[in-house]
Amino acid sequence: MREQRVLTQFLQLLLNGAMAGTILAVPAIGLTVIFAVLRFPNFAVASHATIGAFAGYVANVSLGLPVLPAIVVAFLVAGLVGLASDELILKPFRAAGFITTAIGSIALTIALENVVRFMFGNELRGYDLPLMRDWRFAGLRVGPQQVENLAIALAVTAAIFAFLAFTRAGKAMRAVADNPTLAGIKGVNGETIARTVSFVGMGLAGLGGMLLGLDTSIDPLTGFRAILSIFAAAVVGGLGSVPGAVVGALVVGIGEELSLLILSPNYRSAVGFLAILLVLTVRPRGILGQRAY
Amino acid sequence: MENYLIAMAVSAGLYALMALGLNVIWGMAGQVNLGLVGFFAVGAYVSALLTLKLGAPIAAGVLAGALIAAAVGAVVSLVTARLRGDYLAIVTLGFAETIRVVASNEIWLTNGTDGISGIPGPWRAALTPGEFNLFYLCLVAALVIVAFALIDRLAHSPFGRVLRAIRDDEQAAAVAGKHTLAFKVKAFAFGSAVLGLAGALYGHYTSYIAPDLFLPLLTLYIKLALLAGGVGNNRGAVLGAVVVVTFLESTRFVVPLIPGLTHVQGAALREFLISAALIVVLRLRPQGLLPEARMHPVLAKEQMAAQT
Amino acid sequence: MGFLNVAGVVAGYTAADEILKGLDFTVAAGEIVCVIGPNGAGKSTLLKAIAGLLTPSRGAITFKDRSLVGVLPRDITRLGVAYVPQEHNVFPSMSVSENLEIGGYVAPARTAERMGQVLARFPVLANKRRHAARTLSGGERQILAMAMALMVEPELLLLDEPSAGLAPAAAERLFEEVRAVNRDKVAIVLVEQNASEALAVAQRAYILVDGRTSRTGQARALAADPDIRRIFLGG
Repeated sequence: MREQRVLTQFLQLLLNGAMAGTILAVPAIGLTVIFAVLRFPNFAVASHATIGAFAGYVANVSLGLPVLPAIVVAFLVAGLVGLASDELILKPFRAAGFITTAIGSIALTIALENVVRFMFGNELRGYDLPLMRDWRFAGLRVGPQQVENLAIALAVTAAIFAFLAFTRAGKAMRAVADNPTLAGIKGVNGETIARTVSFVGMGLAGLGGMLLGLDTSIDPLTGFRAILSIFAAAVVGGLGSVPGAVVGALVVGIGEELSLLILSPNYRSAVGFLAILLVLTVRPRGILGQRAY
Repeated sequence: MENYLIAMAVSAGLYALMALGLNVIWGMAGQVNLGLVGFFAVGAYVSALLTLKLGAPIAAGVLAGALIAAAVGAVVSLVTARLRGDYLAIVTLGFAETIRVVASNEIWLTNGTDGISGIPGPWRAALTPGEFNLFYLCLVAALVIVAFALIDRLAHSPFGRVLRAIRDDEQAAAVAGKHTLAFKVKAFAFGSAVLGLAGALYGHYTSYIAPDLFLPLLTLYIKLALLAGGVGNNRGAVLGAVVVVTFLESTRFVVPLIPGLTHVQGAALREFLISAALIVVLRLRPQGLLPEARMHPVLAKEQMAAQT
Repeated sequence: MGFLNVAGVVAGYTAADEILKGLDFTVAAGEIVCVIGPNGAGKSTLLKAIAGLLTPSRGAITFKDRSLVGVLPRDITRLGVAYVPQEHNVFPSMSVSENLEIGGYVAPARTAERMGQVLARFPVLANKRRHAARTLSGGERQILAMAMALMVEPELLLLDEPSAGLAPAAAERLFEEVRAVNRDKVAIVLVEQNASEALAVAQRAYILVDGRTSRTGQARALAADPDIRRIFLGG
């Protein structure tokens, strides 16, 4: 009987982890796709996740939109802010090299986070969701909102894969990530691709931010709290690899949940950091990535 | 008022120490370090705990803070030895965050988010607050001068030359028979020691430390100081620190003048101004504000790499 | 009216560099011209300057009486000049057919039809159309790179040392394909280390030494020349 309970507890964590991981995949894909094309780790993903979460909040609570349209709002607002911030602030840094751009992205993320804080204050806010009872099966429980979040995350991930695999713009993006000079020679407009990836990547960050907050609450630090896990997911899977981001997110999501067996919940981000360290020491290119050096 | 100015000067001195430490790690050895605040925190906590919980003399606590920070820095450097710059950036950032998370949670050790208060200061009981302030300023100023002299010596020594060679072209230096790993680790450890020293000094000055004081924002301030003064330039590090602290403190005055802002909004505006300032400095003069500044090799090399 | 005309070009990788030191070079429509010479002579630099990857500091480059100097590489491709770099000339993580699609990026309306023609032309690629480019052998990769360039139906093809690193048999097959492409009325500038093969394939030849044209003439005549035989063809 006791083994049953331990097994159930383990399975519950596994389930929670798989669901959390699928949701984590969304901003992780955003980060990795920006890295693949623009070649620098964009720490501003943190603030764009927050911006998306708050944009969705305004759409949901102030404008009364249900979850799905609010999610679209989150994506669009974060994407547009991402496009603007890259165009106006980060693009001029790219000629100066990736360290300058990375530092610039940290400054940018702090600036944007504070804009949100200025507008909304520090209090925790929750979305306006219908109250629903948890579903139970086989001794496991899962909330319907969680399932909806999962479905949204899966749909978005599938859409991104389809975009990259089947559309002309998606293939052009992969070409630029693979060999930017050759892509330029063959006629791909690097500028347009950069703008597209900034919009899509940050849009995904914003969408992810809202998904992360739907289940709990949001505040200006929502994105910042998640950033280590997002980076861990991308690095574990291989920075620059979109399928890698998905795999990495599942590994990190499940890993963080399973770590609850031995660590306090506050240490979640430490798990992310350990994962990054482990991967970079043992297999720097990640699970599916190409090169790390 | 003069108490306030003295406190500001102490702040500037601590920032200067940290900027000098970063100069060794980044300016001379070319190692990206976005987790400065982590080493600062290690030094602060070690010294606070040793002096408060174990009754050690303050000098011993400060020394221990610096040494432990150095050891941690050596470990971080060893572990990340072969990583490319952007991975180093991610790992050092993650490291600082992890330190903060551990400090917030290991309540038995660090008192968690409540922080540690009542950290002893040298002769704090015997002096009036004004006298203590002044004394501490002299202490910090003296240490800045010592650190400056040491680091300047280092820069002109054979060790410094090898570091610069490694920074500029690690492969060439390795081929020339230099044990690049040992040099990088030593440089990282030395810089971390200075950061830890600054952290310990901070704790004994303010008598209170808490995890929320050790935010990535602080790393940003130091980066700003170094960039403003000129990366690699020791005088620039000190000057940059003064500029940053002046700017920080002036926002403290300016922001309350804007009517109708809540406390939270004021704080948010200040942080916004600082990060905006970093962006502006980065854009306009990445080589620093001193007139004779040249583009520092770490920035120039990056630029060339970005253009290929 | 000229086809490709390069006159007095001085160019290098930076503004101060002078790898090409005043070069004259012409290509007529439909001919194969090979460019041979020692390492560092500027052969690759010449192709990069024509393709728009480098801007000459002096001199003129015209294609069908249009100046190419200062024009973006993708616009030069649109004008009918396709460049195949020596290295990194395919997209390794993308499939063969995706590579060809990107090859035809500037002419998307014709891509589907053109891809059918190109795959029919190069069966080795058709067999591996879904394979990632990095799984191809060296010779197959060079064929793919050339096929990508052909996707835009160029009038002029610039090939930078296509046989570099290939085993003799693969190199043979490659030069066969070069001849076949030329039979389709595509002019080709062939930069090569493999001087004997290059002179056998081409109609005219240029010998570049130290950034300048040292000798030029009919390929067969140059191949028979005793000095050239001694220096480049091993006696």
